[in-house]
Amino acid sequence: MKGRAVQLAVIMFVVLFLGLLPFALGGQPYYLEVMTSAFFYAVLTSSWSFLAGLAGQFSFGHMAFAGLGAYTSGLLCRYLGVSPLYGILAAIVVTTLFGFGVGILCLRLRGAYLALFTIALSEILRIIVLTEHQFTEGNRGLLLPPLYSGITHVGQYYVTLVLLLVILGLLWWLARSRFGIFLRAIREDEEAAAALGVNTVRYKVSVFVLTSVIAGLAGAIFYHLVGIVTPEIMQLLQMSLIIAFAVIGGLESPIAAAFGAILCRILLETLRGFTIFGVHIELGVWRYAVFGLLLVLTLRFAQNGLFYPIIDYLFMRPARREAVAKRKQEVEDVRG
Amino acid sequence: MRRLLNLALLVLLVSLAASAEETIKIGGIGPLSAPGTVVGGIAMKFAMELAVQDVNNWGGVLGKPLELVFADTEGLPERGAAMAERLITKDKVVAIVGEYHSSVGLAVAEVCHKYGIPVLFAETWADAITETGYMEVFRIAPASSMVSIAWADWMKAVGVKRVVLIYETTDYGIGRMETEKQLLAERGIEVVATFGVEIGSTDFTPILMRIKAMDPPPDVVSAASVTGETSYNLERQMVEMGIAPTPQTIGIANQVAIQPEFWESVPGGNYFVFNQVGLPPAKWNFITRHVARAYYEHFHTKPPSYVLESYDAVWIMADAIERAGTTDPKALIEALERTDIVLSQGRYWFEYGSHNPLPEDVPKFMWHQWPNPATLIIQYFEPNQSWEEAAVLWPPSYQTHGVLYIVPGTKP
Amino acid sequence: MGVHPFVICWLIFAGPLWAAIGAGWLSRVYHRKGLERASARFVGGLGGGAFGPVFLVPVHFLTPDLRKWQWKAGTGAALVLELFLLFALLQPQNLCVTNANYVVNQILNGLSIGFIYALMGVGLTLIYSVQGIVNFAHGQFYMLGGYISYYFLNSVGDVNPLLGIPIAGLFTAILGGLFERLFLRPMHLGRVERPSEYAILMTFGFGFLLEYTTLGVVGPFPKMVTQPYVNLPRLEIFHFLILPNRWVAGCVGVVLFLALIYFLYRTWWGKALRAVSMNKMAASIAGINPLSMNTAAFSIGTLLVGMAGAALIPIFSWVPGVGAKASTRCYVVTVLGGLGSVPGALLGGLILGVVEALGAGCYPDPTKGAAYRDVFGLIVFALVLLLKPTGLFGRKV
Repeated sequence: MKGRAVQLAVIMFVVLFLGLLPFALGGQPYYLEVMTSAFFYAVLTSSWSFLAGLAGQFSFGHMAFAGLGAYTSGLLCRYLGVSPLYGILAAIVVTTLFGFGVGILCLRLRGAYLALFTIALSEILRIIVLTEHQFTEGNRGLLLPPLYSGITHVGQYYVTLVLLLVILGLLWWLARSRFGIFLRAIREDEEAAAALGVNTVRYKVSVFVLTSVIAGLAGAIFYHLVGIVTPEIMQLLQMSLIIAFAVIGGLESPIAAAFGAILCRILLETLRGFTIFGVHIELGVWRYAVFGLLLVLTLRFAQNGLFYPIIDYLFMRPARREAVAKRKQEVEDVRG
Repeated sequence: MRRLLNLALLVLLVSLAASAEETIKIGGIGPLSAPGTVVGGIAMKFAMELAVQDVNNWGGVLGKPLELVFADTEGLPERGAAMAERLITKDKVVAIVGEYHSSVGLAVAEVCHKYGIPVLFAETWADAITETGYMEVFRIAPASSMVSIAWADWMKAVGVKRVVLIYETTDYGIGRMETEKQLLAERGIEVVATFGVEIGSTDFTPILMRIKAMDPPPDVVSAASVTGETSYNLERQMVEMGIAPTPQTIGIANQVAIQPEFWESVPGGNYFVFNQVGLPPAKWNFITRHVARAYYEHFHTKPPSYVLESYDAVWIMADAIERAGTTDPKALIEALERTDIVLSQGRYWFEYGSHNPLPEDVPKFMWHQWPNPATLIIQYFEPNQSWEEAAVLWPPSYQTHGVLYIVPGTKP
Repeated sequence: MGVHPFVICWLIFAGPLWAAIGAGWLSRVYHRKGLERASARFVGGLGGGAFGPVFLVPVHFLTPDLRKWQWKAGTGAALVLELFLLFALLQPQNLCVTNANYVVNQILNGLSIGFIYALMGVGLTLIYSVQGIVNFAHGQFYMLGGYISYYFLNSVGDVNPLLGIPIAGLFTAILGGLFERLFLRPMHLGRVERPSEYAILMTFGFGFLLEYTTLGVVGPFPKMVTQPYVNLPRLEIFHFLILPNRWVAGCVGVVLFLALIYFLYRTWWGKALRAVSMNKMAASIAGINPLSMNTAAFSIGTLLVGMAGAALIPIFSWVPGVGAKASTRCYVVTVLGGLGSVPGALLGGLILGVVEALGAGCYPDPTKGAAYRDVFGLIVFALVLLLKPTGLFGRKV
């Protein structure tokens, strides 16, 4: 009971904090933009950690799906003149189909092969979007209409925040459900899981479709907020950032990954140039090198991520204690 | 421990005090990290800092020192917009100058238009930027079309009939290629083929083999719409494969050919033709020489046009603030429109604006556009030549050696 | 744009439809008869695509042994030939159809680069065969090799760039060995949870770290080594264009490849490496320490790819970003040849080189051909992963 209360309190606090943050920041557009982009990365990172950490499918095509969603919506809005809402719906449909297709293709691929295949697909998509610039505007950037007219920075902030909370809630619920258990079983030993009656095909494809749709949705929404999208976002660099955030945050838990993403994104922004004791340090491109180092060290010495212990302490330990207590009770009951 | 705390407090107070002096802030934008073109951003920042220093040495603006707040736009439009927002809302700059990438420039123009803050573009060439017709947007770099018109006119004068264009698939490259195609067609010159390459590519043999298989060989192969080291690779391979410059085919290089490292990167790059925005050294005034000297001391190379433009942009802003007598944006914009000042690139003015509305027959990109950037076409005729000694072929008013084109193997 | 009747015929009686049907059909038939399935799927796909039911029906009844390489090569060649004929029919004005000289030039150019690709890929395949992991940082070692050679040549002065190659190789070998020892050995010792995930992420992360550290150190300005290997920009032999500098680099690739084969088959260390790759348990029983072999394999792999980078820096200009592109090419080469097969890497490299050259050279829209250059290799790569993940020679070294 106490564990449950603590959990709820923490969740409420975090949600309230994030919800009221714009007012604390004084509505400053710059900070709001950073947070909006942080939430976007958090959605992508948590969904990727669900796919890779929980289900063990190391797909490197996540950013490609985000880009697919953004471009689908953008191209539809531009060539058919529909409102962004329909564009986003179309993005969902398209990413579902592609996610399904890729999921089916990837059924037989394991581990590094899956990673390589998705890298190839991602690059192919990026190059096509880049080269067919008569259609997609390539590197000139495709303009997207705003989500709704008159949207403000605060509005953008809340849109992405709500998206993040909804997705996190969904992923967390799925992770705790049978779906999550089966995914973990498949990750640990696919043959054994199949032998025990788990329909591996269904679950592997489903998780692929699910995470691809989340990525596509996030991509479409975010780039409507930004207003312009280029094929650069599908470069391997962006995918590496997601991976780094997920590892640093915690690959096993979507919530830890999301926290990792938010913190790292803010860190990346603040590390640009900061002033300590009147000395101005401009890190520039070294920020990424620092991140690389952080990624490698975290992976080596804290493989479960830096945020994972907190999540573990708050949410999983009570569950474990509960399970152990229950087991003890059962044993005592039997002993009589 | 107590002493350390005291020291920390002292340092804090001193830094706070130092920042207490009031300055007039100008925002500078440019790419300082990938995927932007960092070379460009670093150079522009240097020029702006030099200009701010010079302005302050001359007494500042409205009695206060000028301060540059430079923001890294990373070559990404969303970063550019975010940086512009930060400069305007957080740093409270009175104006913004700079930017290297057109796609970023467009995003920044929208932000400045929203807040009513003037922005003076020093390098973004895309026509679309001044075509917006925003009161806040000004540009002293040439519009892409202006450069393409120079090329098209020159090619017509030389008597070229068949042209191959190689371009990079960026906003810059695509824009230039499309404009050039149209302008050449208007002058009766056929563009036989266009080839798109991804920026950063290193191997162009497939394209070059196609060109080599053309019979008869084209009159011109132009790499002008490919920038940076990508163009060096391309030009080097053009020479290696014997495609251009040859007596049959004119070879056009990107404007980075002006750099001395061109000769290292493109051995055998003699007789390439390239364009340079900016006055030829013979027409440099003392301001140009001042900036060039400072740039050379720092970078050991000659300043490209966008360095001089960035320098001038800061001065133009300072001059406008001074003339307006206030930092109020509307007054500043009005003062900018009435700019008439001689700086490193010559005399600056903005021909068309609310003070002189655009007539129907003038292209839209001339709005708030400096109409007179010198768009020179230059050709090397000796190996390892510096561009000051190279021949200026076009426009006729700047021509140095009395020829429109030097056939490879000959001397002017 | 009327579609040629031949094409329609082909699409009905053969082509992708029958390729898919053939793969599934023969795979099922052979499985039911207790015969090997994977080759059946592969040959069924190729044969169905080339000949349609005309091929599939007799094979269904006769069930010959499709594992023989003649079947795979035969159906593969037939399909390739058919595709070329179709291409020629649809695109009669395309340079590749009309100008044989052009095609040969493209192929020659592709081969010269292909040898270097092979060198890049063989390191990756060696690491995989001994350690069982894909080194996602391989391209970054290639990038480092180029830079080391550049800085070495710049400081030494006017020497032939060939001298930079062993220096670069030494550096990347040591770096690779250190990385393996410090970060990958714990995985082999069982001190890491979820080792396969760890391997992917760790090598990927290290590549990321290398790329951005290099970017910070050398800056974004591109570097170029300007001394050529030979002072001869081009040769025209019988109207065929040869770029001597590229061929020198290609020859370096061949020489190093031969050196590697000698090493693997004639020296103790090489044989030990092959032993570990075949059966780790047996090798350790025979007294070979698999942990040292792991480090050795990684070092040799990074040695080779570093040398490949050093070989190419006099030809192309270098930025830290070349690592990522090189990585993708390495993957293509090794998967094409078969992860774990050294001769496969050679063939894979050459095939990739030629595919890229012909793809970019023959693509119907010349403006886009060059931009799509990487895509052709990637498409082949994706197809191989789907249809025959073990590649051409998918057995261990």
